[in-house]
Amino acid sequence: MKCAPFDYVRPAGVDEVVTTLRQAGGDGKILAGGQSLVPVMAMRMARPSVLVDVNRAPGLSSIEADGDAVRVGALARHSLLEAQEDHPLLAEAASWIGHTAIRTRGTTGGSLAHADPSAELPVVAVATGATVSVAGPDGVRETTAADLFTGMMTTSLADDEMITAVRFPRPSRWGFAEFARRHGDFALVTVVVTGFGDELRVTLGGVSAAPVRAHAAEAVLAGGGSARDAAQAASEEIEPTADLHGSVPFRRAMTAEMVRRALARVDVEN
Amino acid sequence: MSVEPDRNGSLGRSVRRKEDQRLVTGHGRFVTDLELPRMRHVAFLRSPMAHARITGVDTSQATGVRVFTGADFAEVELRAQSALPSYVETGQPVLAHDKVCFAGEAVAAVVAADRYRAEDGCEMVEIDYDPLPPTVCAWEPPREPVHPQAPDNVLLERTFEAGEVDETFAGAAVVVERDLITNRHSGNPMECRAGVAVFDAADRTLTFWNGTQVPHIVRNMIAELMDLPEGNVRVIAPDVGGGFGVKAVLYPEDVALCLMARAMPGVPLKWTEDRAEHLLAATHARDHRYRMRAAFDDEGMLLAVDADVTCNVGAYSVYPWTAGIEPLMAGGLLSGPYKLEHYRATVRGVATNTAPSGPYRGVARPASVYAMEAMLDSAAARLGLDAVEIRRRNVIMPEDIPYRMPSRLVDDSGHYAQCLDKALDLIDYPAVRAEQERRRGTGEAPIGIGVALYNELTGLGRAASAGPRMPFRTGHDACTVRINPDGRVTVFSGVTSQGQGLETTVAQIVADGIGVGYDDVDVRIGDTDASLWGFGAFSSRQAVIGGGAAHRTAEAVKVKLLDLAAGLLEASADDLRVAGGQIRVVGEPEPRISVAEVARVAYLESNRLPDGIEPGLDATRFYDPIRGAFAAGAQVAAAEVDRVTGELAILSYVCVEDAGRAMHPQIVDGQIAGSIAQGIGGALYEHLVYDADGNLSTGTLLDYLMPTSAEIPELVISHVAQPAANPLGVRGVGEGGTLGPNAVLAGAVHDALGIEIDTLPVSPSRVWEALHAEVVRA
Repeated sequence: MKCAPFDYVRPAGVDEVVTTLRQAGGDGKILAGGQSLVPVMAMRMARPSVLVDVNRAPGLSSIEADGDAVRVGALARHSLLEAQEDHPLLAEAASWIGHTAIRTRGTTGGSLAHADPSAELPVVAVATGATVSVAGPDGVRETTAADLFTGMMTTSLADDEMITAVRFPRPSRWGFAEFARRHGDFALVTVVVTGFGDELRVTLGGVSAAPVRAHAAEAVLAGGGSARDAAQAASEEIEPTADLHGSVPFRRAMTAEMVRRALARVDVEN
Repeated sequence: MSVEPDRNGSLGRSVRRKEDQRLVTGHGRFVTDLELPRMRHVAFLRSPMAHARITGVDTSQATGVRVFTGADFAEVELRAQSALPSYVETGQPVLAHDKVCFAGEAVAAVVAADRYRAEDGCEMVEIDYDPLPPTVCAWEPPREPVHPQAPDNVLLERTFEAGEVDETFAGAAVVVERDLITNRHSGNPMECRAGVAVFDAADRTLTFWNGTQVPHIVRNMIAELMDLPEGNVRVIAPDVGGGFGVKAVLYPEDVALCLMARAMPGVPLKWTEDRAEHLLAATHARDHRYRMRAAFDDEGMLLAVDADVTCNVGAYSVYPWTAGIEPLMAGGLLSGPYKLEHYRATVRGVATNTAPSGPYRGVARPASVYAMEAMLDSAAARLGLDAVEIRRRNVIMPEDIPYRMPSRLVDDSGHYAQCLDKALDLIDYPAVRAEQERRRGTGEAPIGIGVALYNELTGLGRAASAGPRMPFRTGHDACTVRINPDGRVTVFSGVTSQGQGLETTVAQIVADGIGVGYDDVDVRIGDTDASLWGFGAFSSRQAVIGGGAAHRTAEAVKVKLLDLAAGLLEASADDLRVAGGQIRVVGEPEPRISVAEVARVAYLESNRLPDGIEPGLDATRFYDPIRGAFAAGAQVAAAEVDRVTGELAILSYVCVEDAGRAMHPQIVDGQIAGSIAQGIGGALYEHLVYDADGNLSTGTLLDYLMPTSAEIPELVISHVAQPAANPLGVRGVGEGGTLGPNAVLAGAVHDALGIEIDTLPVSPSRVWEALHAEVVRA
């Protein structure tokens, strides 16, 4: 469990990061908190030729209120998200990530770029309609979280792009529920309910290749349906896969239950 | 029989542990900490196939590194031997050559300047495989034998039989029948395996630092395999970060390291196992199936047990324990602490294309206790009896002692009911039952209570030696005690420690045995050049056997000390007493002479030596308890089950054990707490899973779920202290805690929901599926 050989570069700023990635020709990888990347490198399942350490790039670690949203720098650690009070949903979601050591190193940008469908922050990003700032050779572009995640651990980021910040709108009300085998494990299912105006969104993580909105469940709620009916709808509109931790029917049932629990937190009756 | 507590002594008190200064300040000395001049690092290339012929080996691309392959050591193999009639002896290669028998088996070793380059080297070695059909499950017919000597893959089969089983079943009021499958575990010590080997060609000596529980066993077999005089092999087990049985095995990697060191004289070779290797290739355990039948009368009295037990022993019979360790333990102790006359159990160890199984804390009994307690729980449910009541009716009581179990083991304990009573008191059994009843009428989560009684066979002497009739008997250990010229004491003990605090315990025994202060005793362990003999850490033996040896030796040295003091003082040795390093004459208020002054005479002032007394103050003694000491235990837990998710929340967990006389109460409680935690991990989370092709699906700690502090509830641990029949009155406590949780937690689910959990672990999905099946049936 030792990494294959690689070159290590530590650019002084985002522009240099982008240049270095461009020079690596698709074979470079950004090192932020390293909590997912380094283990897969140690197992030689990832073997970038250049590791671009962005930890010294300035101005990427802050969290600031930004109107009806919170702007989180790409290098803001999960522990910082957990401690901030401007966005309580983000704080709660962050508290479910791994353990203290992982939260102390792991970053917001890293979690989104890694795009693990069982991770908490990608679900929150989709649930809140987050805007992701992406630096590339042609400057900074903005994309939505929904457009960022294209599949299982894949994103629309180009090889020479880097997430620099994420703007998470603040829902007027929200609910969070997660089912995992142990404290700190990746979720078997994460459910985030977010209220914006009259609209209630239901977003699911861990049940498909990328975080998904449960549109059928949302339609039930929009029609004044019960939490139980919305939960049922959510469990039927997904296509989970069986694994060591449970069968497809079990995963559907857990999804329904977590939807119900998340909705209970925004006072949607059973 | 037991020693009276000495108010000035250290035994029975939780004195400060000798090893903690270095361990808690980051100054532990583990194998991996060793750095030597010219050291090189080793990585093993492991088979990606579960079963395949090796058709080609090409190392030509591996430049800049040294590569060893199976052909280099083809003439050497490990052979675990047993005198049991049905045992099929097979060999385990150092590095696989003809064929590979499990995914993860080492096929080559690469030596390089550092581990990174060694792993780069592994990628440059080409091995060609011709796949053979793998067999993963021990109770499905083999597709292709793992070993040609055993066409049916059965490496050992034995039937235990007592009484008239068939007749008894025929006349029984209630017959319970269940097929139970227990989950495959890994010991997973915090420190994985590790070794540093260096060979000195000038005098043909090998030094092997090895994170092992059994340095003398390692020395013995390494010397034999390498054809070296045993005195030329030195095995050093420094600080070792956990063992749990996994490190009581001599592995092919250990032998390979020593053989490679001989091929590269003067170059120390280091191998530090990583977690992926540990999960793949260190021994596994508890992949068993129990086809259980039990007969009861209408009062719930256990009449007969008929069992068929299959243990998946993996690809090889591990040295020295053989493929018999788990099946024979299961068959020998299946009836546990319950009176039983009619018993038949056929047990077998079946080879498969999975990692070898070996000793792991509890050895088979976490599974067999679950199987036995499941019979009682089901019978109680059928008869409308309380789970506690049916156990009371069947348990071996003090008046039954010595009780000859149907497997012919002799139980010398009988204190189970006493443990149970105390456990029920501590959990407030009536209150928990009342709360359970109250919740029944509400929508609140149901509560279940699980109970398990068990016996731990500890400190086995030669008459009941651990292991399946191996070519040696593990009943004894040696100890050497030296009083130095300054009056302080150095002990060279044959025990080993993987965190259990043996330096502390041995120091307590020797300090009290002689009558010197605990702080004046230092203990050296884990070095075969320093200690005369010790079999090491397994089957909860060291407190009894190593401790007994320390006690006997301290007494022998004390005799020498007093003989010399008596000559100096012109008094009778019988009238002298030693305490706190001072020697006094009975009846006199002030001490006459210190131990230090006597010691000075013994070494430095031979002019003062009385006639007939030789210089020096030391002794070496062995101890063998001949028989063993059964340790009784009871565990009771209340758990709440989430009917929707199948999750279990442990509300309270109580364990009461008979540890005999607790020499260091904190260490004893630590052993019990740690083993319960491991048991809970095994019951609820840990599960090694192979796919049909023999690939390990749970190859990282992301998938193999170890419990963390967040998963382990507060444990209530208490004792009934019945002194055992050995000089210190002690019983082993290393393993007992692991025996209860499977039975207790599966029992709690049964009690809460009325569903029988027949397959472990008790995961949310398993509980949910069982509940769901109930709903579908309804």
